[in-house]
Amino acid sequence: MKKINSIYIVDDDPITVFGIRKMLDSIAVCENISAHGNGKLALDDIKKSLNSDGQVPEIIFLDINMPIMDGWQFLEEFISLPLEKRVRINIVTSSIDPFDVNNWNLYKSRTDHIITFNNKPIKRNHLIEITKAA
Amino acid sequence: MENRSTLVRNYNFMLRGSQTLSSNYLIKQLPKATVFLNKRLQVVHASDSWVDYFHFSNDIVLGQNISELFGEISKDWKTVMNNCLKGKPSNVGVERFMDHENKEKWFEWSNIPWYDENENIIGIIIQTDDITTRLQNEIKLEKLEVLLREKSEIAKIGSWEYDILKDEISWSDMTKAIHEVPMNYVPTIEKGIDFYKQGYSRNTISMAVNKAMENGTSWNEKLQIITAKGNEKWVIAAGKPIFKDERLIGLIGTLQDVNDQVLSQTKTKENEHLLKTLIDHLPLNVFIKDKESRKVLVNKAECDYLGVKGPEEVLGKTDYDFYDEETANTTREDDLHVMNSMTPILGEERGSIKKNGDAITFLTSKIPLIGDDGIAYGLVGISMDISNLKQKEEELRDLINVTSLQNKKLVNFAHIVSHNLRSHTANFSMLLDFLIHEKDEEEKQNIIGMLIDASDNLLETLENLNEVVAISTNTDLEKKPINLNEKLKTVQQNLAAFLLNNNAKIVNSISDDVFVKVVPAYIESILMNFITNGVKYKDPERDPTITLSASSNNGYTIVSIADNGMGIDLKKYGDKLFGMYKTFHDKKDSRGIGLYITKNQIEAMNGKVMACSEVGKGTTFNIYFNEKD
Repeated sequence: MKKINSIYIVDDDPITVFGIRKMLDSIAVCENISAHGNGKLALDDIKKSLNSDGQVPEIIFLDINMPIMDGWQFLEEFISLPLEKRVRINIVTSSIDPFDVNNWNLYKSRTDHIITFNNKPIKRNHLIEITKAA
Repeated sequence: MENRSTLVRNYNFMLRGSQTLSSNYLIKQLPKATVFLNKRLQVVHASDSWVDYFHFSNDIVLGQNISELFGEISKDWKTVMNNCLKGKPSNVGVERFMDHENKEKWFEWSNIPWYDENENIIGIIIQTDDITTRLQNEIKLEKLEVLLREKSEIAKIGSWEYDILKDEISWSDMTKAIHEVPMNYVPTIEKGIDFYKQGYSRNTISMAVNKAMENGTSWNEKLQIITAKGNEKWVIAAGKPIFKDERLIGLIGTLQDVNDQVLSQTKTKENEHLLKTLIDHLPLNVFIKDKESRKVLVNKAECDYLGVKGPEEVLGKTDYDFYDEETANTTREDDLHVMNSMTPILGEERGSIKKNGDAITFLTSKIPLIGDDGIAYGLVGISMDISNLKQKEEELRDLINVTSLQNKKLVNFAHIVSHNLRSHTANFSMLLDFLIHEKDEEEKQNIIGMLIDASDNLLETLENLNEVVAISTNTDLEKKPINLNEKLKTVQQNLAAFLLNNNAKIVNSISDDVFVKVVPAYIESILMNFITNGVKYKDPERDPTITLSASSNNGYTIVSIADNGMGIDLKKYGDKLFGMYKTFHDKKDSRGIGLYITKNQIEAMNGKVMACSEVGKGTTFNIYFNEKD
């Protein structure tokens, strides 16, 4: 499997972060996995690295319901960032609210980045599938 | 005529007897206008009266031809004169001429031959009589007769005359026509009376005729006759006695056929009655207004609606007398619009406020009344009080709003529940999967620790959800008036340590007599939540100050709780401010449940809550406590 340079996990639930990180470790696809408690923290980090080494995550695991800045607000700002490479964003949520599915379709149509919608819990096999560089 | 011939014979005799100058003089003085012509029709002698009558001059007359004198004379007269010269008997004729003032004059002439001693015809003697006045009178009379006949035909007025002495009655043609009898019909006074309809009409006419004959009174009555052809007719019968030398000699009278008028009057009255009955019993308010919007007709419903006993209390008044000024202004505007544009307003909804303050909603229609000159002279108004309907509609709408709101909340809650429970179960499922496959004992312990956390989280979530469900389902919680400041004191005591630790200050401007109608358990939780929030999200630069105030508006007591904390961007988070598990600050102890529960409690008491905030300045929550229900 092709190595991924950097993966972001954006979620305020430590158990989910633990789970995703553990599964990613087990498939040993990436050395550089970082967790961010909400959308704002993740966005700030991305902006910071854009300004320094230009290193942005290739894959983002994104929760929707988070304090301060939720998944949608994060996406809104993220898709307007001047990125050269396509990024894969995997939405990981326990929501089955049709509103969220609609929102996903909306954002998908507005950007070149790959956005997938995944319900918790994520199985290992499924995770392997969605952990490929865009 | 006899006299005239004798006179002429006398002249002849005289003239024959002495043809001297003295005879000339004699002729000159004849009282009747007379002229003597010779065979060539030239004037030989003329009486002064003749010359005067025609305004001729004496010098010119003698020797002049008669045709030249008159300018022109009729053919008839010429023939008569020629015949006269031939000895044929004379004739009488009428001739017209224009006098010196150019006025039309008529004279009658008579010609006789003029004989000499030897009975030879030597000329013509002509006498003339002015008949202008007589002729004019004749024409006048003829005109009058024609006029009378025309009038009687147009007005259908017949006349009759009764001669008491001869006991004879004569009817004019029109009288006969009204009775529908042939023109040769011979009436009697009894037959005349019998034409009247039995009962009131016949009795009245009999009595009127009797009284006229006995007391000399006249009559004028509207009665019914039954004609010879059996038709019923309304007539105006009038009559009066005629006296001669203070003795009653007869009666004369007129008979006018007024059947059409009476029938159309009756019809109009019937229609009027029908219309009035209809208008009065319509379950709608009907009124007619004049140009100045004064009411000129109102029906019973309108009177009842305005709370007056009868139309006389309304007529001539305007809406300014019954409604408040604003309402009256609106209706006047409507009236003017309808009358000026001459287009009706149909079934429009209008609100109005009566003088006593009652608010009424009604459906109104206004139709312009347009006169023969094409200009509106008023309007007909029809209105229906739909206040009850309106109220029902509003209640229904409120109910629908409440229901749809509750439905929305329910769906929202279902999603919250599903989401929260799913996230925990997803964690369980994932952690258990790890645990099964984990070989490393230390990692196993780690996973178990997380499972315990997940379990605790689930329990807490369930507790929170329970709390929300309790508020939403407990709809018949009893509200009691609670003194706001006493409640605040309790909350402050409970939070004393927390406030002290944060250096928080509470500024309360609520007066001691403010009561709110609330569920006692909720008010404490609500105050506690907002005050804690205000302190918890303080600005790191300054000590927290919570300012409380209260006001009253439109059935609500509004309690404002303002803090000087860090504030929140409502443009970004406004719609999520009161959402469940929404937190906006990176604070360890923000659970995102407090405002959600608080909002539910306020709404459960039929109140509402609004927020305004500015980042870096603070947030103000306005809580509306419903004092009515």
